[in-house]
Amino acid sequence: MVDKLEAVSDLPPSSWNPSAEPPAPVVTVIQSTQGQVALKLAELWRFRELLFFLVWRDVKVRYKQTLLGASWAILQPLATMIIFTVIFGRLAKLPSDGVPYPVFALAALVPWTFFANALGQATNSLVGSANLITKVYFPRLIIPTASILAGLVDFAISFAFLVCAYIYYGIVPSARVLTLPLFLLLALVFSFGFGFWLSALNVKYRDVRHVVPFITQIGLYATPVAYPSSLLGPKWQLLYAINPMVGVVEGVRWALFGTNTLTLPMIAMSSATALIMFFIGLVYFRSTEREFADLV
Amino acid sequence: MSDAIQVRNLSKTFKRYPPRKHRTLKEAVLNGEIFRSSTEAKFIEALRDVNFSVPAGTTFGIVGRNGAGKSTLLKILCGIHKPTTGSIAVGGRLALLSLGLGFHGEFSGRENIFINGLVLGLTPRQLRARFDEIVAFAELEEFIDAPMRTYSSGMQMRLAFSVAINIAPDILLVDEILAVGDQAFSRKCIDSLNDFKRRGGTILLVTHDLATVRGWCDQALWLDHGTVTAIGRPEDVLAQYDDSFAEVPATV
Repeated sequence: MVDKLEAVSDLPPSSWNPSAEPPAPVVTVIQSTQGQVALKLAELWRFRELLFFLVWRDVKVRYKQTLLGASWAILQPLATMIIFTVIFGRLAKLPSDGVPYPVFALAALVPWTFFANALGQATNSLVGSANLITKVYFPRLIIPTASILAGLVDFAISFAFLVCAYIYYGIVPSARVLTLPLFLLLALVFSFGFGFWLSALNVKYRDVRHVVPFITQIGLYATPVAYPSSLLGPKWQLLYAINPMVGVVEGVRWALFGTNTLTLPMIAMSSATALIMFFIGLVYFRSTEREFADLV
Repeated sequence: MSDAIQVRNLSKTFKRYPPRKHRTLKEAVLNGEIFRSSTEAKFIEALRDVNFSVPAGTTFGIVGRNGAGKSTLLKILCGIHKPTTGSIAVGGRLALLSLGLGFHGEFSGRENIFINGLVLGLTPRQLRARFDEIVAFAELEEFIDAPMRTYSSGMQMRLAFSVAINIAPDILLVDEILAVGDQAFSRKCIDSLNDFKRRGGTILLVTHDLATVRGWCDQALWLDHGTVTAIGRPEDVLAQYDDSFAEVPATV
């Protein structure tokens, strides 16, 4: 049972006339419609200004309220890179596909950190905005979307740091670098899908947010961040790539270092699971959002 | 005359999960509940087959005891809660004025003005043009960049009122607000509400102050246990509402 709220007239919000003369009223119909899940993407577009505002506000707070500000975005992957380099690179002497281990790990840590933070932020986003949800109406999807998009600023900063490391190690890029945005898009799609699902689930079951750190911790080792996926036999590669972050991480390395550990079936598998997760997350969110105001 | 608000056969049922409000995933899994669909949920009928319409440009009063479903009705009109059955048609932009509005405690007054304006369908440019007016009306120039949680309830109320009235909605839903604020500010509120009426605005008023209903409203509705008990001229509806209190024997 899903409900709809839609403007019958297509009058955009910007048609509001600040003079005393009121505009032609937009008739909004609110009713209960059973058995359909409407994705209502047009409605989302009408509220894009609100989305931009929430993203901007989120970014501003993140950089204002933390002592370290923007350096936090670098410190997090940097610290993990150092630990990984010492433990896995030096002590365990894990192979790194011919790439210097620190930059090998960093190339994976940058998208991974984005993903892990996106999940954490998205999960708490709805409950954290309970006041807004119970007092005014707007498409609820905007809230987890904004929290995930705000993480892109952190991502951009840490990515710039990765580029510095890349140059420092004197690695020469090939034309493959141009495909990099595709792998980042894959990470974003998966983050949205997983994030939508977790944020909606956390409204219903408040302990979901305690589960998320486990998911990301286990995920870190189920993804070739500290080690190359070539360590696994070819038999397991496809099964391994069900985790979309495998496709992302190996894709980034493939584009940046020219490693040949990413096969076409692997990236196809990763893309498929990411898209399925995106769809499941969106549909679950849409089918439960009418209860948010009652539960939050 | 066209109707600003039309409510048809509206019912709303809330689910309640005993015994606690927020369940946990752990509990759900342990009880095997996750595999069944909400078995033990209790249903509470907040509104039952409500019908009424408010002609554009009029003021409509809703009275009723605590828990009668008045606030639920307003929230459904705003789209916050969804009807279980029935439908609502709203002609025009609608702003809800209730304790706190859609304020986020961690956001500053300035940010809250923007969020609420954007939610109500203004563009950032229109908002910037109105911004100073909103702040000046609320008399909050000094505090506008402080987080909302530091505001007193009077300050929040002033800002809520100022945002709602200054973004020029077509319909104003007022939930028990006129009593808040000092004399001077409530005078200002009443003046601007009168002004809003003169400009052809529609007001839906929920209040326990019967004098306001008598003096302001063109029509009134008495809501009791989620059903419409009386609807019509304010004098008639209020007379019946008053009588319902007389029936209760005074126990002193």
